[in-house]
Amino acid sequence: MNVMIEATKLTKVYQMGDEQVHALRGVSFAVQKKDFIAIMGPSGSGKSTMLHIIGCLDRPTAGELFIEGLNVQEAGGNKLAEIRNQKIGFVFQNFNLMAKATAVENVELPLIYAGIRKRERRQRALAALERVGLSDRIKHRPPELSGGQRQRVAIARAMVTEPAFILADEPTGALDTTTSGQILDLFAELNDEGNTVILITHDPTVAQRTHRIIELLDGRITRDSSRNGVGA
Amino acid sequence: MNILETMRSALWSLQSNKLRSFLSMLGIIIGVAAVVGIVSVGLGAQSSVLDMVSALGSNLIMISPASTVARGGSVSGDAVDLFTVDLANHMQETVHNMSLVVPQVQGSGLLIYEGANLRATLVGTTPSYPEVTNYHVQTGRFLHELDVENATPVVILGSRIAENLFGQANPIGRELTYVVGDRRHSLTIIGVMESKGQVLMGNYDSQVYVPISYAMERILRTQTVSTLMAQAISAEAASTAVGDAEFLLYSRLGTTDGFNVTSQDEMLETMGDVAFTLQLMLAAIGGISLVVGGIGVMNIMLVSVSERTREIGTRKALGAKRRDLLMQFIVESLALSTSGGAIGMILGVLIAKAVSDFGGWATSIEGPALAIAFTFSALVGLVAGVYPAMQAAKLDPVLALSHE
Repeated sequence: MNVMIEATKLTKVYQMGDEQVHALRGVSFAVQKKDFIAIMGPSGSGKSTMLHIIGCLDRPTAGELFIEGLNVQEAGGNKLAEIRNQKIGFVFQNFNLMAKATAVENVELPLIYAGIRKRERRQRALAALERVGLSDRIKHRPPELSGGQRQRVAIARAMVTEPAFILADEPTGALDTTTSGQILDLFAELNDEGNTVILITHDPTVAQRTHRIIELLDGRITRDSSRNGVGA
Repeated sequence: MNILETMRSALWSLQSNKLRSFLSMLGIIIGVAAVVGIVSVGLGAQSSVLDMVSALGSNLIMISPASTVARGGSVSGDAVDLFTVDLANHMQETVHNMSLVVPQVQGSGLLIYEGANLRATLVGTTPSYPEVTNYHVQTGRFLHELDVENATPVVILGSRIAENLFGQANPIGRELTYVVGDRRHSLTIIGVMESKGQVLMGNYDSQVYVPISYAMERILRTQTVSTLMAQAISAEAASTAVGDAEFLLYSRLGTTDGFNVTSQDEMLETMGDVAFTLQLMLAAIGGISLVVGGIGVMNIMLVSVSERTREIGTRKALGAKRRDLLMQFIVESLALSTSGGAIGMILGVLIAKAVSDFGGWATSIEGPALAIAFTFSALVGLVAGVYPAMQAAKLDPVLALSHE
């Protein structure tokens, strides 16, 4: 199967008091396997809502969303948790690591929820940490790591479950330029290795590193381009 | 996520917050320690009280006048007047379920031997006293029928009296003086009782025993006795014997007021009831501190949930189900309260030991009491954990992740 995500007329309406806020107004797009995509837009454009919906943290008000052919709309709370666990690898702006756990324990966390045995868990977590270049930091806790290293731990955590796609929300938002570049290099490498990567960002320089940019404004797609000209 | 993983992560979470974990446990620790300590001391006290009742004798029935209030023109004390040596003899002859009826009078005075003097309770009684009370002479002899008939001025000493006045020396055959008010009585020592220790109504060892006739006529100058002690022919016959004695007294007095007839079993029962009630009350007080401890745990769990909102959001994003988070926080709460319970149990046992070692009280540490206290602490943890855990489980991951 080559279509990872298929979104059709996604609509999200929030009720804010008496007022209805239309965060998404019928957004349709598809993400192919091995895509490297940036979803861009200023704040209020609906990109956070987009993150929540394709991240299966929230459901659209209307429209359809399929992830690897699975109808998200029909999934219950537990099924959604399972989809998040198995299909999606989250990377957050603020890393969201467990401060008191070691790097390897942090990476193991999604595998615990997947019900993987301890020995296999440890092996896979170590492999993921090795992949992001942190083999010498496995017993370190997040406060003992630099920002870039923390984000690498988070990326290792995102890819350890071998998800359908990695979904990163402003992954360089808390990092300096040099470190940002290194993290983006890592995403590019992971993409080259066959991983599907979606970055949510407001930063055009970040978006430039990807192969395809979806621009959002006022809950609509205003541009969906491929830098090499193969837009969807 | 299986239960083992949940427990591991709960313990880990508590470990990483040691001081807070300890402080929130404190209520449970104190509660469980209090319950265990109190119940142990209470059980010890209960069994020593029951021992004291048993030590009174075997199949013993106590018959005594009750203090009554005089009403109108009648004179209080009718029942008291009824209690005489004749009554004892009459009861022994007519109540077939009683093998022995021993009258007893008591008075207090000063014993003098050479330079030493000692305050002692004087008991006037009959030769059957040792048999009824299951309390015998160590050296010399007890009273003889002739001593009572002739009102001979002889005395048998309680073991502690003998030790205090004579030390290791043999007191038999010596004379001591017993002073009541301004009257002095010279008594010849004919025996020393064995050591019996504390029993329910005083210490037998610090009493002296004289013929009841001599005590009533010469020392106390009274016509009435203070108590009749009877022995039922068997344990089964005791309650019938009580009824017989009551009927006899009722037929003399025309009322059921004014006297008490109590069998040893009834005493044991009463004492047991009193001890049980007291213990229940104390344990309930301990239980209240457990409940307060539970509120402390719940409070900490609620704080923990709101403090860890982002963590909860992250866990949800990584695939934690509602059930996982529910379990996580309930297990954390359980771990808090049961660790507290375990520490409290140890502390309670130490308190009980300290009370018995330094206070000289009998204590009894019993498995069921420990088990109940511990189970209760676990229950408190469970109840305290459910609500915070539900709060955590139902958090919206989007809101939780954006929580600052």
